[in-house]
Amino acid sequence: MKYANTYHSLAQFGRELLEKKSLEDGLPLISEYAKTVIGAQRCSIFIHDREKQEFWTTIADGVDKIVVPTDKGLVGLTLHDKKPIVANDPYNHPDFMSEVDKATGFVTRNIITAPIFTSKREIIGVLELINKNEDFNNEDVRFMIFFAHYVSGFLELTNVYLKKH
Amino acid sequence: MNKFNQIAEFGKELMTLKDMDNTLDLISTEAKRLVNAERCSIFIVDNEDQMLWTKLSDGIGRIVIGLDSGIVGDTYGKKEPQIVNNPYEDSRFLAHIDKKSGYETKNMLTVPIFNSKQAVMGVIQLLNKSRFDFDEDDLETLTFFANYVSGSLELVLMQESL
Repeated sequence: MKYANTYHSLAQFGRELLEKKSLEDGLPLISEYAKTVIGAQRCSIFIHDREKQEFWTTIADGVDKIVVPTDKGLVGLTLHDKKPIVANDPYNHPDFMSEVDKATGFVTRNIITAPIFTSKREIIGVLELINKNEDFNNEDVRFMIFFAHYVSGFLELTNVYLKKH
Repeated sequence: MNKFNQIAEFGKELMTLKDMDNTLDLISTEAKRLVNAERCSIFIVDNEDQMLWTKLSDGIGRIVIGLDSGIVGDTYGKKEPQIVNNPYEDSRFLAHIDKKSGYETKNMLTVPIFNSKQAVMGVIQLLNKSRFDFDEDDLETLTFFANYVSGSLELVLMQESL
């Protein structure tokens, strides 16, 4: 059980996360933690903007935003299917956008995603991890589902309610 | 401070707690404050024994009911919040609990708490909102709140069962 001890460190992570006052402050912490625990090279959190029908994500520093379409790629597929996606052979996955790799020179070897739901069961974001040493497995999927749910309250509070009021 | 900033402050405190009793206690205090209710019980789903139990309900001690009993059981079964502003006219209402405790329920709001697998792991029950009836605003606030605390609660429940 790779994740057996992780659940203990989650509480510590949760404490640090809730010290963050805004979504932008919290995102790098969530990414860093997910990457370390799952043992992946990259982590991105795509925040779903329902009005504009797009996702945005930030570069490592949490400031600059990149906009991604909601109807393309594995992140779009996650939104559509409302469930985690595992692609251990992304170049042979019909929804993988290899042109992004081509443009950046980065080589994606494997990907896992999980949707993040609000209290109303709407998708507020998608968590994506890239390049684990071995293939992503079912244990990783279970952890992703748990973790996406664990951070969803923070995301909903900072992205929806603290903005609206 | 508006209620969502207040929830953010509450969240920090919640994260410092490690055991179930204190966690449930803090959640119920905050839930009451959010909607101005007099009492709060948090029912935990026990799938093995097919029942819902509370640790310590306000003023009444431990309550154990069947998964399908009362308005709380119905919340579990339907996976949906319930507003009941006239409990004594509601056939689902368990009047014998009032009789036993000597407390009179005037109105009730219940919301399911989902775990990461989207199964109901608990139900928050609020009783007797001061002066007014429970309304849609209370329901929205508590639905958000139930999701907000669900990660911590799931973690605490997992650790208790390990």
